Amino acid sequence: MLRLILSRLVGGVGVIIAVATFSFLLLHAAPGGPFDAERALAPQVQRNIEARYHLDDSLVTQYADYMGGLAHGDFGYSLKRPMSVGEIITTHFPYSLTIGLMALLVAVGLGVGMGVIAAWRRNTGVDYALMSMALLGISIPSIVLGPILVGIFAFGLGWLPPARIEGPASYVLPAMCLGLIYLGTIARLARGSMLEVLGQDFVRTARAKGLTERAVVWKHALRLGVVPVVTYLGPATATLISGSFVIEKLFGVPGLGGFFVEAIVNRDYPVLSGVLVFYVAFLVMLNIVVDVVHGLLDPRIRSGR
Amino acid sequence: MVRRLAGVAALLWLAGCGLPSGDYFGAIPDVHDRPRHLRFCNQGEPDYVDPAMATSTTALPVIFALFDGLTLYGLNGMPEPSLAERWDVSSDLRTFTFHLRHEGKFSNGRTIDAYDFAYQFIRILHPSSASPNADGLEYIKGAAAYNGNTGRVLLRAQGGLAAGAHVEIVGAAGKSLEQWAKDGATPPDANVRRGGKPLALRDLGAAPGAAYATAPAGADVTIIELTGGPVSMASPDGQVWAYVFYDQGDGAFGWVPMAELDQVPSALVDYEVRELPKRHQIGIEASLEALTADDAVTRPTVHVRGADLLMLPELMGMRIPDRWTFVVETAEPTPYLIAATPSRPYRPTPREAVSRSPRRWTDVGTIITSGPMALEAWLEKDRLELVRSKTFWNPSLVKLDRLTVFSMDDQAANANYYAAGGCDATASNNVPTSYRPILNGERRRYLDYAVKPYNGIYFAWLNTEKLKNRHLRRALAYAVDRKRLAGVLHGPIPTAQFTPGTPIKNLTEAELTLCGVTRDQPGVALIEVAGEVCYVPPLGLDFDPEKARAEWALARQELGADFPKSLTYRYNSGAEAHKIIAEYLQQSWKETLDFDVTLEAQEWKTFLADTTQGKYDMARFGNIGSLTNAESEYLVLFKCGGSNNRGRYCSPQYAALIAEAKKLTDRRARNAKLAEAEKVMIEDAPVIPIYIYVQDHLRKPYVRDLGLNIVDQFPIYRAWLDPDWAQHPGRSTSGEGPNAGYSTASEAAR
Repeated sequence: MLRLILSRLVGGVGVIIAVATFSFLLLHAAPGGPFDAERALAPQVQRNIEARYHLDDSLVTQYADYMGGLAHGDFGYSLKRPMSVGEIITTHFPYSLTIGLMALLVAVGLGVGMGVIAAWRRNTGVDYALMSMALLGISIPSIVLGPILVGIFAFGLGWLPPARIEGPASYVLPAMCLGLIYLGTIARLARGSMLEVLGQDFVRTARAKGLTERAVVWKHALRLGVVPVVTYLGPATATLISGSFVIEKLFGVPGLGGFFVEAIVNRDYPVLSGVLVFYVAFLVMLNIVVDVVHGLLDPRIRSGR
Repeated sequence: MVRRLAGVAALLWLAGCGLPSGDYFGAIPDVHDRPRHLRFCNQGEPDYVDPAMATSTTALPVIFALFDGLTLYGLNGMPEPSLAERWDVSSDLRTFTFHLRHEGKFSNGRTIDAYDFAYQFIRILHPSSASPNADGLEYIKGAAAYNGNTGRVLLRAQGGLAAGAHVEIVGAAGKSLEQWAKDGATPPDANVRRGGKPLALRDLGAAPGAAYATAPAGADVTIIELTGGPVSMASPDGQVWAYVFYDQGDGAFGWVPMAELDQVPSALVDYEVRELPKRHQIGIEASLEALTADDAVTRPTVHVRGADLLMLPELMGMRIPDRWTFVVETAEPTPYLIAATPSRPYRPTPREAVSRSPRRWTDVGTIITSGPMALEAWLEKDRLELVRSKTFWNPSLVKLDRLTVFSMDDQAANANYYAAGGCDATASNNVPTSYRPILNGERRRYLDYAVKPYNGIYFAWLNTEKLKNRHLRRALAYAVDRKRLAGVLHGPIPTAQFTPGTPIKNLTEAELTLCGVTRDQPGVALIEVAGEVCYVPPLGLDFDPEKARAEWALARQELGADFPKSLTYRYNSGAEAHKIIAEYLQQSWKETLDFDVTLEAQEWKTFLADTTQGKYDMARFGNIGSLTNAESEYLVLFKCGGSNNRGRYCSPQYAALIAEAKKLTDRRARNAKLAEAEKVMIEDAPVIPIYIYVQDHLRKPYVRDLGLNIVDQFPIYRAWLDPDWAQHPGRSTSGEGPNAGYSTASEAAR
């Protein structure tokens, strides 16, 4: 297991370097620069700014500076606001993380439950009802779902604030909005894999031993049934936690996702590369965690390696 | 796409859950417990709150509350005296003398004087500051040479030039500046110095022990200012002190005794210099004809050594005859300078704070302000908390004890938050397009929604390098029925004129007289200075299908085989309105001219890069004026080779008329000449004007003295809350002023 983790870590560093390099090249190849605006600056003003931020250096020099900074954990300074990239990440990632984790809770808690019940009661009205709901969740984009939730819970019922993070209640709508999208996928995954597992020999054995149906489903079958869900959770968690730009915008949440997209629009190179590298590192970590959890859940994976 | 979906969804819930009933859009909270606390929904996060660095419109209301200036924006958007008690303007409109009040203070207790204004010019214009706000200050004498790092003061008489002469570098080390630029290199800077011992950077006159930063021995520092100069403070101890920049890490500025800067790396470098044009020399009084004629004269160049040159702030058109007088000199008559005095370059920032941490001095805890409000908290992307300043010289101006500025950028989120009672007013131009028909629709009009005209024009650039044929461009302009489009957009004023203004039919009697127009005249007029100056732009090429087809035929005849088979119209993606307008134009050209135009949406920065480089046929654009001045805000766009001339329009006739106008100091005659120039331009059709922007906002009925003005700069700190508003229905809630004539139903209903 330790060897597995170590080899994954080494691979991860390679991925980060590759992504940093590739994103650097792509960014600088994109037309336009951080200081282009509707009203263009006079050429000498533009030159002074480029000199100050070393944007007039050769691309090789800029790349060397950038990678040198990364090696020291220094992501540099935003070109558009008086904040370092490190500060932006540490201040704003917690918002995205909280909403992402709450959304994950909604998606996994409800999703797995729905999937298992649907598999258990397959081809009944319950199954169809649950799976229709799941399909609806997958189909409605958050940009539509958000305003509907705001309309119902903030204005119709008056239970929750429509925007901004003012207290714990403020997290509910964005988390719900984000979670519902993943809930559908997870419910369908769980149903499919549970159906397969419920037909296997060890389930028949468990039933033959005289265990209650409840124990068979929730204790024996579920453990194997959630493996595909766990696999899916790696990338899903990364997406959820990295902050949905759309959700953050809709609900006025000061999360990291907003900074990321804004940095793309602004061509704020340091912020964009810094946040990207942070996300990639996060994704690499999550994938390692998923591998470990796989091993714990399914003995075949552990021994197979 | 994303915005459209959001709009549809917003409509869905509004329709589904019922619109707010009653006269107002959403909840009206009881404000008896906070009559002096306004919560304002801004349109996003300010980029900086430093007047030298900020460029975003979201930063301006905050900056203008935190920093005092020569003047401050009044309720009507026009300047009102603040740090400048009064001013004199010379008859040639080139010298502006501001008499400063003695009571202005920074929040650290230090008195603000003329040297602080000089320092703000240095900060914005020195190349090392890299301030985007250096843009647009070319009207100040010598500013371009200073900002471009080519202006120098000659320290020793030589080659026929006197000591103290203001010169510009044309070459260095045997190469011309053009050659240096071509080689991608920078010539050695004669302002660079090194100390044989470590340099203790400190406040002027402080002991070395009080240093806040140290430049190691042999490190490069750049001299910015010396004590005793015409715009610099006197030395406290008889020896000359230098204010230097040490470029390491975040950078630091500080004073050191000049004697410690004992190494001059470029002392022996040979520089080729010549005198600055007469127009840019300080204190020269001559007729403008003589001065402009001098531009054409070849000025002889002289070779001097680096040790004899320094770039110093006195190169710029400013003088300090005494501590309480600040004089600004401009190269050409600048009638709009006073209108610009509430803007960022005239809002001093504290040298002591900036020097210690150029990048981070505005952090809560280290920030030193001077305005009506002080910064208490700044939570990025969430909110700023401003509280009444304890040191502002004019406390009676300030009605608020606390101002909370929310920084959400989504328009729907802001409007929803407002509807739920979370904020008392929204920033202007921040109501989602999809909400407009609901707020100001046929069936219902909410009383807390206001619309007013705005100093901005939405138009299409025609790339005159690709669409060279004048008749072709004119045909395209004549073919657009803007009035029909206005019905789709809910609010904006359709126009074929370029410089925007107030529809003439809405002007007051006095304004009609001032502008010399009659009420039945079509078009708009721009009141530049209330009661004093008016600009009437020429009528444009408004919808006329017959003329369109006639011009089209002419173009076809002249171009023959070169007649374009199709053209492309570009717009930037992300805003629904751009797409609607593009489709409308496409349809108009098809209907009137039977001509196919392809539409192309582009990501914003790509769009900017392509249009700047002339890689387009036609493209949408907007131009918002920060002043109510046609010349500086609108006509400047059509300067040959100008950085904002995306249509690459260059007309000798237009340029000649503008040059003539620039020499006129009588503003009425000047504006008449400018209108002649605009007439030439609009007839050449490098642009197709489409509509005049409007600004709109939401404002709870208990908010007083908060409204909209033509320049979109409202002094929010002067607003207040009336908890018993229902009993005082007649009170004015918004500022009135020039160009306020246009108002839509909701404002009129009040």
